[in-house]
Amino acid sequence: MIKHIIQRILSTILLLLAVSFFTFWLIHATPGNFFDSLRLNPQISQSTVEHYEKLYHLNDPLLWQYFHWVINIFHGEWGYSLYYNVPVTHVLGSRLFNTFVLSFTSLILTWGIGIPLGIWAALRRNHWIDRMLSVFSFAAFSTPGFFLAVLVLYAASRWGGLPLGGMHSPNYDDMNLLDKIKDTLLHLVIPAGVLSLSSMASLQRIMRGNMLGVLRQQYILAARAKGLPEGIVIYRHALRNAFNPLVTLLGYEFAALLSGAALIEIVCSWPGLGSLLLTAVRAKDVYLVMSSTLMGGVLLIMGNVLADILLTWVDPRIRYEKRR
Amino acid sequence: MLRNKVLLTFLCVCLAAPGIDAAASRYGGNLVETVASDPKTFNDIVATDVNSTAVTSLFLEGLTTADPVTLKVIPDLARSWEASSDGLRWTFHLRKDVKWSDGVGFTADDVLFTFNDLIYNPDIPSSSKDVLTIEGKPLKVEKIDNFTVRFTLPVKFAPFLRAMAQTILPRHCLWQTVQQKRFTFSWGIDTPPAQIIGTGPFLLSEYHPGERLVFKRNPHYWKRSSQGEALPYLDHIIFMIIPDAQAQLLKFIDGELDAIALSGRDYPLLKPLERSKDFHIYEAGADYDSNFVTFNQNPGLHPKTSRPFVDPVKLSWFTNVQFRRAVAHAIDKKRLIEILNNGFGLPQNSAMSPSSGSFYDPQVTVYDYDLGKARGILKQAGFKYRPDGMLEDPQGHPVEFNLYTSDAGTASREQTAAIIRSDLEAIGMKVNLVPVEFNTLVNKLTSSFDWDMVMIGLTGGVEPHFGQNVWRSSGGLHLWDPNQLKPVSPWEKRIDEIYDQAAQELDDSKRKELYDEWQRITADELPVIYTVLGMDLFAVRNKFGNLKPSANGGAFPRPEEIYIKK
Repeated sequence: MIKHIIQRILSTILLLLAVSFFTFWLIHATPGNFFDSLRLNPQISQSTVEHYEKLYHLNDPLLWQYFHWVINIFHGEWGYSLYYNVPVTHVLGSRLFNTFVLSFTSLILTWGIGIPLGIWAALRRNHWIDRMLSVFSFAAFSTPGFFLAVLVLYAASRWGGLPLGGMHSPNYDDMNLLDKIKDTLLHLVIPAGVLSLSSMASLQRIMRGNMLGVLRQQYILAARAKGLPEGIVIYRHALRNAFNPLVTLLGYEFAALLSGAALIEIVCSWPGLGSLLLTAVRAKDVYLVMSSTLMGGVLLIMGNVLADILLTWVDPRIRYEKRR
Repeated sequence: MLRNKVLLTFLCVCLAAPGIDAAASRYGGNLVETVASDPKTFNDIVATDVNSTAVTSLFLEGLTTADPVTLKVIPDLARSWEASSDGLRWTFHLRKDVKWSDGVGFTADDVLFTFNDLIYNPDIPSSSKDVLTIEGKPLKVEKIDNFTVRFTLPVKFAPFLRAMAQTILPRHCLWQTVQQKRFTFSWGIDTPPAQIIGTGPFLLSEYHPGERLVFKRNPHYWKRSSQGEALPYLDHIIFMIIPDAQAQLLKFIDGELDAIALSGRDYPLLKPLERSKDFHIYEAGADYDSNFVTFNQNPGLHPKTSRPFVDPVKLSWFTNVQFRRAVAHAIDKKRLIEILNNGFGLPQNSAMSPSSGSFYDPQVTVYDYDLGKARGILKQAGFKYRPDGMLEDPQGHPVEFNLYTSDAGTASREQTAAIIRSDLEAIGMKVNLVPVEFNTLVNKLTSSFDWDMVMIGLTGGVEPHFGQNVWRSSGGLHLWDPNQLKPVSPWEKRIDEIYDQAAQELDDSKRKELYDEWQRITADELPVIYTVLGMDLFAVRNKFGNLKPSANGGAFPRPEEIYIKK
């Protein structure tokens, strides 16, 4: 098991190098650089623009720029953001946290509601509740999240009650702790709700399908024939097997923690990574883009490793050790 | 008995209240505004974007400032000034009652530090250096005494006083960073707000990236109201960072924001709510930022391929002023204003905005929308119409070219370009609209020069001189034919002369005459064809007093004077 993890980590480093190089190359393959926007300002001279370019080593050979960045990472420096004029880590820090708050809430909502609903629908197949759930799932699944967010925001502006985007109220700094928590939770309702709705719907459908598949298996028949109580048949035998494919999915969801919320963040003015990345890519803020891509990559791979470990726990047939 | 006591106390309070100056109740309260994006830095010297300077202007001030309504230069940190008779030596008398927000006194050393150690420091990139370098030479800045500073100019420089609005930074906080060569990265967005010091009315107290900026009252602020009260009145100014204009609008209606800038398109939505939501929409006049189309008149050859930048056939059309005039007649500015600004806009004819005060010349040639006239001009210039309505040049080449544009920020340039394209098709020109990324467009305009027609905008202001990089034939932003070694045409030569003369002309009315001539030449020769200027609209809650919205200063040109009506 440990050997397996070490192998994964080594291959990860190679993979991350490839990802970062590719990002770097892509940004430089398109014309222009970050300081182009200054060139069209009548009050800024060419030499000032060149001064900025020199300051950030934008005119050094490309490969050298890249290796310079990689070497600095081992010293804990992730480069400077051209846009914000401070180290990339400073810009990313608070945004990462905010995105995690949002994504994690929606992850809990999705899995906490989607899975039980799926099981429930499978056990009551073709019951009217199951049909209702199907209709709801297809509707939620096929509505684009950002569009739904806009609709909900308009509804909230009409009928009030919920904050219209953002993460905190303007007077947040003057609140006591309890009010602060309440304020943040209220701000979370719309973005987290919308974000989890469609994944909840798809998770519910997958869980239902898996469960139905498993319930048709011979070993369930055997378990029932043995005279096991229905509860044990379903929750010990059927559920564990039906849950199996979803563990892999959880690994991917872990990666999507960072990137999955981008559109909703922009619509709901959530101060997360999504809007930051969008401006960074458009403005060609090289190191900001590379660092956040790298973090996304790390999370994806971590999620996969996590899913692998979880799988060995859920599914006794999977073992990484050499068979004796 | 107890009740009596309470009643008595209550009466006392009531009686005491009128004793306090009635105006004292102006103090307190918050103003919640919005900005579209995070500031990039709190360091005003290296800042190059409006999001940053909008924020730094709350806590930093200059020797002079422009009156937001009359646009005249008025004293700020300098109490008064006088010029020598040759206009080269300017002596500024500083206010003695100004303190930095940490309590340290403001003196001539801070002024010297700002100019000599920051702006003219070769290690620090700064756009102020570009503005304050006259004919390649810096200004000489000397200290006469603690509260007197003398500036010596290499030559006469008319925009000098306006340029003295340059913000002054505190020497005692920053000189060490200059010595350690860290100044460029100091006062960044990672600096703790308490370390950011200024003389202005408000101080940064909290910054949450992507969320909000909170400013608090500067207790050491020097300015007093006309009744002698210490300013500012407000406790806090809070900027919520909301990139999406729709979200800003919703939050304003919802009551979270006290003020927003809105586009003409949102006007019909907001106007009916004025009474029920207790706000007023102010029309502050025309915008400064121009939008225009221009044709590539660059006759040069590409240095590597030695192929011409522009196809010689097209170049012969673009350099023909009749061709450009026909295009100007074909653009329906009224329709542009209706579609883009919902009626809130002005057709732009002159190179200056009407909001730039006396430098604006309304007497320039106006190209009214008239397709018949446009076709007539083209026919006179030898162009012909094919039976299918397509225009061809005297040599029989069909008139077809590319129109490049890029959506930057909130400006709906692609939409404008699409309308212009259909306008030009009406006079038989085939225009291929090519929307590109902003960087690509900049690259085309400033280094690869491979474009036919471009729809773009430039920021403008009150002082025409600061547009010299666009108008001088040697300028890098002389977009239609940049970096000329010698002016190609007589009228470009004349504009060069005007810019030389006007920069040295200290008499305002003579300066105006010169700039009027420049505006008339550009309107006649049409190197750029202006489209429309938007109107600045602000929606502000009614609870605020002392509001004077203006195109120059925004919704709150003097935030220190704003108070909440009780």
